[in-house]
Amino acid sequence: MSQTKKICCVAALAIVLLSLLPWSLGVYKLHVMIVCFFYVMMAASWNLIAGYTGQVSFGHAAFAGIGAYASALLSLKAGVSPWIGVILGTLIAAVLGFCLGVICLKMGGIYLSLTTLGFSAIIQIVIINEYEITRGTMGLQVPGFFAEYSKLSYYYLLLIGALITLAVVYAAIHSRLGVNFRAVQNDERAAASLGVNVVRVRVLAFTISSALAGFAGGLYGHYLLLITPEIPSLDQQFLVLSMTVIGGMGSFAGPIIGAFSLEILSEYIRVYGEYHVLVFGLVALVAARFAPRGIVGIAQDIGMVKRLRRLMAPAVRGRA
Amino acid sequence: MSLIEGRAVCRYFGGVNALANVNFAIEKGSIVGLIGPNGAGKTTLFNVMAGTIKPTTGRILFHGEDVTDQPAYRICRKGIARTFQIPRPFGTMTCLENVVVGIINNLNGPYVKSDVEDKARIALKFVGLGDLIATEARNLNVVQKKKLEIARALATGPEILLLDEVLGGLNTQEIGEAIEFIRLLRDKQNITIFWIEHIMGAIMQAAERVIVLDQGTVLMEGTPREVVSDQRVIRAYLGE
Repeated sequence: MSQTKKICCVAALAIVLLSLLPWSLGVYKLHVMIVCFFYVMMAASWNLIAGYTGQVSFGHAAFAGIGAYASALLSLKAGVSPWIGVILGTLIAAVLGFCLGVICLKMGGIYLSLTTLGFSAIIQIVIINEYEITRGTMGLQVPGFFAEYSKLSYYYLLLIGALITLAVVYAAIHSRLGVNFRAVQNDERAAASLGVNVVRVRVLAFTISSALAGFAGGLYGHYLLLITPEIPSLDQQFLVLSMTVIGGMGSFAGPIIGAFSLEILSEYIRVYGEYHVLVFGLVALVAARFAPRGIVGIAQDIGMVKRLRRLMAPAVRGRA
Repeated sequence: MSLIEGRAVCRYFGGVNALANVNFAIEKGSIVGLIGPNGAGKTTLFNVMAGTIKPTTGRILFHGEDVTDQPAYRICRKGIARTFQIPRPFGTMTCLENVVVGIINNLNGPYVKSDVEDKARIALKFVGLGDLIATEARNLNVVQKKKLEIARALATGPEILLLDEVLGGLNTQEIGEAIEFIRLLRDKQNITIFWIEHIMGAIMQAAERVIVLDQGTVLMEGTPREVVSDQRVIRAYLGE
């Protein structure tokens, strides 16, 4: 119970701080924070499949792209309000996620990764080449949410979006479904022998995760006002992957920490061009090998060492 | 009608006949041993019964219903639980969570978290892991992992429990306790037991009937006494 209370306290404090923060930030820093929120949404939802069910999907950025382009095209061509567009975009991403999930989740493992990689490439190629609809690499101009453009409004909107995403992820992993997620990740065969419908659990995780990516992409697109095939790109995918792995895969806080630290860091090293994605990839690789639980894991280990020292201290003193 | 029945079950792995025309029937409320030399096909038979692998040909009937083509999770929900010879705990989950998996996927009523956890605690206490409820399963020793396997399987509320060499690694006293425990499952909870075991003494004490597999076929079937005195069985184990 105290654990839950502690989490609630930290969450409440973070929300209060984040809602007061923008008053002290300039336009540029507001923008960085908004991008951070987008990546929190992406990393947290990717973590749901990769960290909790062990399915490394490379199609997550593609689903963000689907959400962004679906919502954009709906509001441009059909005159749908962006608010409803985002919801529809989320649903479309969910449906496509479900379909892709049904097709490739029976395979599992590396085959899932390969199939989603292919899917991701297809989505990007279609968006680039269907010039008449998507305006290709020129980018598609999208209407915003608000009649009057203000970074502050977007800051709060994306903050709420991130909170909704985190709430969904939290609810999923702390429900019955979450227990099954982890069982499937640990050992599919044992899980099935205990009555877990492995394929269903995986497809469900994949669908929820894809929907959340679509949601993130939709919000982000209407913030950027100009969407390009950069959103469903593999660069983006690997950035999200690095954030999750470096922050701590399979933990709730990991992707949040990873998203903030890597996004803010990449603003500082932006001058070196796109190499930062490469560097992040390398760091993620090293992290996966030597600190598989990421920053969160390292922090926990340090906490454990400290607690051990504290426990040992009286004994040592006693002996002296 | 038998509780579970196998009819002409065959399973080939490439050119190897792991199971070649196996017929068996197990009555409700019995304790049946399954013995045989290494590579006789015992675990393969369990895998086929639990739906983990499908037989090449042949049928498995449970309560007279053909369950051969059902996926493993559905067979579990019908009431056939199994343990694995090499324990397969969910390492990063606590003992409690391991057992909870078995419960929540076999619920008849609505899901109430506290009820489920109470039930899981009882199951863990029942197998003697009451003190390790919050321990991550990867930190258990082999014997504890085997106990967890049983607790998880029991948590699914089975009618029949397939035990795959659960006594390995136990000392003589522990084996005695385990036999008592298995009898208790049958007597108090009315769970039918089908049990692979290499420790013949245990089978002799607990089982009412024994099925002997050799090279994928049923060599013989009978009471433990009949089995150990049978020339064919002795030959299968010791050679000519």
